[in-house]
Amino acid sequence: MKEKKIISIIIFPGSNCDRDLSVAIEKNLGIKPNLIWHQTRNIKKTDLIFLPGGFSYGDYLRAGIIATKSPAISEVVRLSKKGIPIVGICNGFQILTECNLLEGALLKNSNQLFKCEDVFLKVVNKNKFTSGFKKDEVISFPIAHSQGNFFVNDQKLKELEDNEQIIFKYTSKEGLIDKSFNPNGSKNNIAGIINKKKNVLGLMPHPERATDSFSSEDGKIFFKSIYEML
Amino acid sequence: MIFRVYINFKPGILDPEAEAIMQTIKNMGNKSIEKIIKGKFFDIHVDDKKDYFNEIEKISENLLSNPVIENFKIIKKN
Repeated sequence: MKEKKIISIIIFPGSNCDRDLSVAIEKNLGIKPNLIWHQTRNIKKTDLIFLPGGFSYGDYLRAGIIATKSPAISEVVRLSKKGIPIVGICNGFQILTECNLLEGALLKNSNQLFKCEDVFLKVVNKNKFTSGFKKDEVISFPIAHSQGNFFVNDQKLKELEDNEQIIFKYTSKEGLIDKSFNPNGSKNNIAGIINKKKNVLGLMPHPERATDSFSSEDGKIFFKSIYEML
Repeated sequence: MIFRVYINFKPGILDPEAEAIMQTIKNMGNKSIEKIIKGKFFDIHVDDKKDYFNEIEKISENLLSNPVIENFKIIKKN
């Protein structure tokens, strides 16, 4: 039995998945996360940081941008450089791209819709964040966003591919990666990526909403994998 | 002194809102329309004590625009 790990969740004005995330972590890992208000200037000890979903600052200017100027994000950037794992879900992913911890940007969905539905994802690259899944395994998490259309230029896309930084892609139930299974127009069906150093993960789908018996339970494996890496 | 900062998408970035607006104009009967580029601008008012261009440029780069997807242009107005 390893020592109890410290998991932190940063909360911004307008975050709305922080509680779901906290409940999912506590239920699946037996750890009560530290809830950290965005104005915190010093995050003393943490083994992992989550940036939750929601609409920080009402998505003003661009989704996630205002949150990147919060004192807590300076700490997230500092700790990420020290190798602390960071996970951004939905709005958290948008914040991570806006503060340059992850490549690319998340544009408005190409179909102009707010998409709220269960999707299938293929785990296209295995790494520490996804150790509980098999490579190319098809899993299911829900999505709920209007700005999840992941964009990078072709040169950066090639880098992401070459470095195995693309983790999740939207797919059919059978594992077919095709435009018709892309809910938001994202480049190459990308749903989640990691940074070059492989300690920062961002994904649009919500694993914290896939941990109950009435829904997909693939989120449980997601959280257990993350715990294993600590 | 006012600095006006214009922001718009880089060429090749899909803007579904501009597409929808263009489609609507077409539906309203104007068939000659070929393209719409949507953007936004910010008027930043400052005092006249010095030239704030460099600061405004930094703000435009670090906050108002996202260099991955957007261009900005600053115009000085008196």
